[in-house]
Amino acid sequence: MSAEEPLVRLEGVQKWFGNLHVLKDVDLTLGSKEVLVVIGPSGSGKSTLLRCVNLLELPTEGRVWFDGRDVTDVRADLNDVRTHIGIVFQAYNLFPQMTALQNATLALEKVLKVSKHEARDRAMHQLAKVGMDHKADAYPGQLSGGQQQRIAIARALAMEPRLMLFDEVTSALDPELVGEVLEVMLRLAGDGMTMMVVTHEMGFAREVGTRMIFMDEGMLVEEGEPREMYRDPQQERTRQFLAKVL
Amino acid sequence: MAETAGIQDVMTGPASPAPGPPELRGSPSGFSRTIIIAGFAALLLAIGGMLLVQIAYAVEGGSITPQCRELGITPFVVATDTQPASGIRGARGVCNIISAIRDPWTRAFLWSGIVVGAVTMFVALFTYRRMDTRRRREQVITGGVVGLQAVQAGAFLLYFSSGRVDRFATQFLNFEVLKGYGFGFIQAAKNTLLLAFGGELGGVIVGLMLAMLVLSQRRAVRAPARAYINFFRGTPLIWQLSFFYFGLVLGLGLPFDVFQAALIVFMLNTGAYAAEVFRAGIQSIERGQMEAARSLGMSYLQAMRYTIVPQAVRRVIPPLMNEFVILIKDTALVLVLGLAENQLDIYNYAKEGYSSTANATFFVAAAVGYLAVTLPLIRLVNAAERKLRGGLLGLSVGQQGI
Repeated sequence: MSAEEPLVRLEGVQKWFGNLHVLKDVDLTLGSKEVLVVIGPSGSGKSTLLRCVNLLELPTEGRVWFDGRDVTDVRADLNDVRTHIGIVFQAYNLFPQMTALQNATLALEKVLKVSKHEARDRAMHQLAKVGMDHKADAYPGQLSGGQQQRIAIARALAMEPRLMLFDEVTSALDPELVGEVLEVMLRLAGDGMTMMVVTHEMGFAREVGTRMIFMDEGMLVEEGEPREMYRDPQQERTRQFLAKVL
Repeated sequence: MAETAGIQDVMTGPASPAPGPPELRGSPSGFSRTIIIAGFAALLLAIGGMLLVQIAYAVEGGSITPQCRELGITPFVVATDTQPASGIRGARGVCNIISAIRDPWTRAFLWSGIVVGAVTMFVALFTYRRMDTRRRREQVITGGVVGLQAVQAGAFLLYFSSGRVDRFATQFLNFEVLKGYGFGFIQAAKNTLLLAFGGELGGVIVGLMLAMLVLSQRRAVRAPARAYINFFRGTPLIWQLSFFYFGLVLGLGLPFDVFQAALIVFMLNTGAYAAEVFRAGIQSIERGQMEAARSLGMSYLQAMRYTIVPQAVRRVIPPLMNEFVILIKDTALVLVLGLAENQLDIYNYAKEGYSSTANATFFVAAAVGYLAVTLPLIRLVNAAERKLRGGLLGLSVGQQGI
């Protein structure tokens, strides 16, 4: 692995859902400590692209490298790869029968085989970082959307991943709860976490992103520095989209 | 506890001085109270009055009336050298039941229940819309509904008491003949429970494993499990019992006794149904749960074991309970196997008693036996279900819209 080897590399990734061509020959790299923001209209393939990185969606064609490993190789140990990639979903997807703490310790104990005591410490540390340690024993059903989403972030962080994926994590939240989640993400980016963020929060995208890509109809249309792209989009399609959402 | 209170606050707004939501249903009125009391009084007259007369006769214990003697209900006399046995066992009890039903008081109670019930019902029907508070309206409606039930109960009992009460009482209500069978019934209840519990327990284990196989992406894994399920769902249980015992145990010589054979078939059969229940339950869990588990590095089996199945189990308790109740009743099918007397289940033990005494009261006792087993069980499982759902769906419990 050379020094310039990016953390994530996608090469010629195509994805078909039945007859629907969702990703059309996408190439992408993501370096360490980068915060890549993915924007685009709904149905443009943003989420699918994100989910191809941790192989929740298997690309129909093309290759995905993570940390120099070809994870699309049939022999790749995906369970191991996924322990290094955290993902946060739009619908939180917390385990409803478990407390916040149990949500965060489950994979530590069962996958990483960390001792109960250490798993608890690690989980509590992450819950504290998202400001949810006081709700460690609460069940997801007793918490607000914003609180659940912060716990979902803590659950992913407890694995100490090298990359965090965020899939429209504030889209299901009430407007007044969006801020608390974005704040956690901003702090995470400040700590130097490598992140790939699919979002509709344009202001946040500019704040947090070191790089931005605009997707439309399954293709990567434009790529650049967020402020630059907002001020002076190069593609007509990007211009149209930004004019609508900004 | 503290968390529950928190949820309550969210639901009802800021804490009010009195605990719980304010009473908004209004006050009752003299009229609405009268209607609801009249409704229940009618029901009490019809059912309670009839029972009262029955109890009075049972306690009084009158002698066997001439009418009863005419019907052949005479005290049992053991056969002697000179004359054959005559009369029936329990003649006095049977005669009491008959006399009570024929007593003018029974008729009077039933008729008065019907009349009061009918009047209450009609008054309620034409006034409930005019009630000006919610509570008054509810009371009038409840009174009317209970009045209707009193009319129905009274009419049915009146209709039945016009039939051949003597034959019915002799055949089905002669509890004297049950004497000496009590221990046998307890043993039969134990056997029924053993068969049903064992069958259900084994079935749940078999079913969960089958459900896992059936949910596989691979056809080679799915196909045998699917074939098993279809076979056991597609053939009658009575055929499975017969074939397993007569074919495989007696024919092929598998080393099981008849009771074990029945238990195994109940397990295998319940397994097929439980598998479908589990499959549906697992498939009802949101896709995101599996994705969340897998994204944390869990294998498919780990995700199933730690996240999906625990949630599915809560959802399938009601349908599994349904299977269990069906199985309790289906244990009666062991009759085809010819069990020894101490292995009999409730139904077949009652049938045995019927054969030896020619009195069908045993079947009434069997129904009581089944209910004695199933009613507490139903309560228990309902309580367990509420408890299991508590953590999961706390907010949806007790909230009613329309």
